[in-house]
Amino acid sequence: MTNSDEIRIPRFDAYERVMHWMSALSFGYATLTGLAIWSPKLYWMAAVLGGGFHVRGTHPWSGVVFAVMIGVMFRRWAAGMSLDADDRVWLTRLHKYATHDHGALPPSGRFNAGQKMLFWSQVATTLALFATGIVLWFPESMPRSLRLASIALHPLAAIGSITNILVHIYMGTAAVPQSMRAMLRGYVVPEWARFHHPKWYKAWRASHHS
Amino acid sequence: MIVAKLIDTTLCIGCKACEVACQEWNDQEYTLGTFGGTYQTMPDLSHNFWNLIKFNEMERDGGTSWLMSKYQCMHCADAGCLAACPAPGAIVPRANGTIDFVHENCIGCGYCITGCPFDVPRLSPTTKKVYKCSLCSDRTAVGLEPACIKTCPTNCLTFGERDELVRIAEARSVELKADGFADAGVYNPPGVGGTNVLYVLKHASEPEQYGLPKDPQIPWTVSLWKGPMKWLGSLMFWGTILGAFFHFVIYGPQDPAKHGHPEKEDEPSDKF
Repeated sequence: MTNSDEIRIPRFDAYERVMHWMSALSFGYATLTGLAIWSPKLYWMAAVLGGGFHVRGTHPWSGVVFAVMIGVMFRRWAAGMSLDADDRVWLTRLHKYATHDHGALPPSGRFNAGQKMLFWSQVATTLALFATGIVLWFPESMPRSLRLASIALHPLAAIGSITNILVHIYMGTAAVPQSMRAMLRGYVVPEWARFHHPKWYKAWRASHHS
Repeated sequence: MIVAKLIDTTLCIGCKACEVACQEWNDQEYTLGTFGGTYQTMPDLSHNFWNLIKFNEMERDGGTSWLMSKYQCMHCADAGCLAACPAPGAIVPRANGTIDFVHENCIGCGYCITGCPFDVPRLSPTTKKVYKCSLCSDRTAVGLEPACIKTCPTNCLTFGERDELVRIAEARSVELKADGFADAGVYNPPGVGGTNVLYVLKHASEPEQYGLPKDPQIPWTVSLWKGPMKWLGSLMFWGTILGAFFHFVIYGPQDPAKHGHPEKEDEPSDKF
């Protein structure tokens, strides 16, 4: 008999962890440099990061790294991110999730419906940020109408994306204990898996302890 | 005192002395242009060419006509470049009405190029910063007139107090009307709060013929970005941060031991 705390269920392999943290670091850098240029009140961040001229040069490249990593993430995860019938019910009971009334929620698979929605909204905002970012990167090569649209759409997509990630950071740190370890070290314990992702846990159990 | 430059296009003889004076005073490198079959020196403004005399050649008034215009920064009272600029101190509206680019603060994003309704600022491929006419702020600061004004041989260009120049311009268009140019008038577009570069035009109802926009405005997407979107962003970011914090204070973390439920008890135990 083994203590359940010593059983490790692999949740994210090294490829997924590197892909996630590459996205996170490039997103973090793009966010800090982007916010610095976004508002004069936050321009001091540009000074901290090497000055406005430097920041204008590096911000687009961090965006390119982020967009590529989201592409990698899409290839790896998109197939498992479609909403099933349980997920659709789950979304209508989001308030139950937020108030810890887990008994009222249908069981989740490897990712719950909230995580799936985060994934798709990040894919959408990244597409928008990338397209408008390219336009803003090369002002003299782009038609003015596109530049005028991008000046408003780029920060709008960024507001959506950053807001999502703020929720994501809260969920991954304070709100759901042990989820950070899953993304840093790659494993979770059975009790965690059974509670947060019952369908995924069942599948793992079936394949390991039938 | 707000200063201005008055361009009486009816007096321009296309000598381009102002172009040369601009290049000389501002110590611009010479760049070989392209010959497009016109009398124009260059096809367009560039980062090292801030003042272009345009020969707008067209068939009108019963013959071939040149509608001369001086293409340069308009030094708007309500400047689109300044509205769009994200770098504090890079675009400075001087007390005399000059819109001045301070290159040590320029980050080279090119937003001013997009914000300008006159399509004036140009990015340098070498310094990656943006350049345009400064109304010779280094001359006007010590009481000299801009180099282009100083050199103009026909009094097509006048420099002085803005209100006075507006009066002179209006008097001149009255004169032109009396001479048979019924459409003569002053170009001082209100959409950008008026410009500190004023034109007297023979065909004032068709400024596009001179390459001037009919009703220039600060683009609404720039105003949206600089205005309501800042509020939206602050609301979303602070709302989310405070919302997450107070969610934690009220509900705490998700805890399998506390928040598990009977249904799940039927599932296989994690003891093996």
